[in-house]
Amino acid sequence: MRASIEAGARATAALVMAFIVGVSAQYALAQSATVQISIKNHRFQPTELHAPANTPITIRIKNLDPTPMEFESVTLRVEKVVAGNGEGVINVRALSPGRYNFFDDFNPQAKGVLVVQ
Amino acid sequence: MLRERTVRKDAHFPAFVRPVANAPWTRPSNPRPHGPAGLLAMALLLSSATGFPAHAQDDTDFYEIETKYIFGFTKGSGIGLEGEKEVSGETRGQFGKRSGTYRAFEHMLEFEFTPTQFIQIEVEALGQSHFIRNVPDLDDRNKTAFSGVAAELRYLLLGRGPGQPISITLSAEPEVSRVDDISGERVRATSVETRLALDAELVPNRLFAGFNLLYVPEALRSPEGEWERETNLGVSGALSFRPAPPVVIGAEIEYFRHYNSLNLTGFEGDAVFVGPTLYLQLTRKAFIQAAWSAQVAGHAVGDPLSLNLDEFSRHKAKLKFGYEF
Repeated sequence: MRASIEAGARATAALVMAFIVGVSAQYALAQSATVQISIKNHRFQPTELHAPANTPITIRIKNLDPTPMEFESVTLRVEKVVAGNGEGVINVRALSPGRYNFFDDFNPQAKGVLVVQ
Repeated sequence: MLRERTVRKDAHFPAFVRPVANAPWTRPSNPRPHGPAGLLAMALLLSSATGFPAHAQDDTDFYEIETKYIFGFTKGSGIGLEGEKEVSGETRGQFGKRSGTYRAFEHMLEFEFTPTQFIQIEVEALGQSHFIRNVPDLDDRNKTAFSGVAAELRYLLLGRGPGQPISITLSAEPEVSRVDDISGERVRATSVETRLALDAELVPNRLFAGFNLLYVPEALRSPEGEWERETNLGVSGALSFRPAPPVVIGAEIEYFRHYNSLNLTGFEGDAVFVGPTLYLQLTRKAFIQAAWSAQVAGHAVGDPLSLNLDEFSRHKAKLKFGYEF
């Protein structure tokens, strides 16, 4: 029994340490780049954002519609509900170059892309 | 590949889950699905009721998908999105021993959340049901009981992204239980399920491969007060195809080895399971997952008969419903 508990504790502790080390590395105190986007009439403006690679990114969202929207992206691994006529901020880890799609989960026809280069 | 579809005018579904009225598999004469073939039939039937937009489909209809639940018993590497929460109910069934009647179910009520872009945490309340009659070495039983609690920590080692089709997650799931999952006896059991989950996007948003390595040490105190230690090792692979945006169907194969110790001595037997899988996105926030597997090969030490029905069952199944918010 003791051996099992110790084995379990070791596995859990190792995972927790991996969490801490990994998250610390990913959220290192690097200066972030800020990009801004708004949504109006359930359309992103602009539909294409640009940000530098290997730098944490702050996305500021301004919802100009009276209804809430939900910024969502599977590849960015974020989702954020922004109230009608409200603003929201999303912090994204440093990304490798590429195109990262996002959309409004409350109005999926609203789509955009973050181009990291 | 591109097909025009007709949508019922009285549909009350969101735009992205409009049903199809005249798909051939929705006709009343369609036979009721059974067994593994039933999963595929159910996928087609349910997809017709939930998923196809009115216009011809193109690649933009195939939005990006989370992979955690698309592989059946094999877990995908997805950890959700930062800020996302999910509640789900899951039941896993084990069916059939060498003789007699054997049905065992594990019920899980789960809450999971993703506090960062690398970590997912899950807590679970567990229950078990056993219906056992005339099975050698097992007492007859007809009982359902709350059995314990579990928690899972998942850490994304490698995330999928542009130019990176592979994703890897490491997880640990400690569990305490007061019911033996095979016999239904009152016990005190502690286990830690440790899993490495890898999946690859073979065709963007359409075809996925999943792979798991599993290590599950367990200590169990029997009703007689004796301590037993055992370990399960497992490896599994799955292939999942997305024929329509809300539907993922596939197949998986799993191989398990059972030891009566924590240090992988005392090999007691192994088993191979094969079966189909189904994942259905009901809405953007709700999904159903189903899987069924049959033991196709196996061996228990000291038993000359084929299949390992001491530690494993003939069939197993899984049904899960989840809602994200």
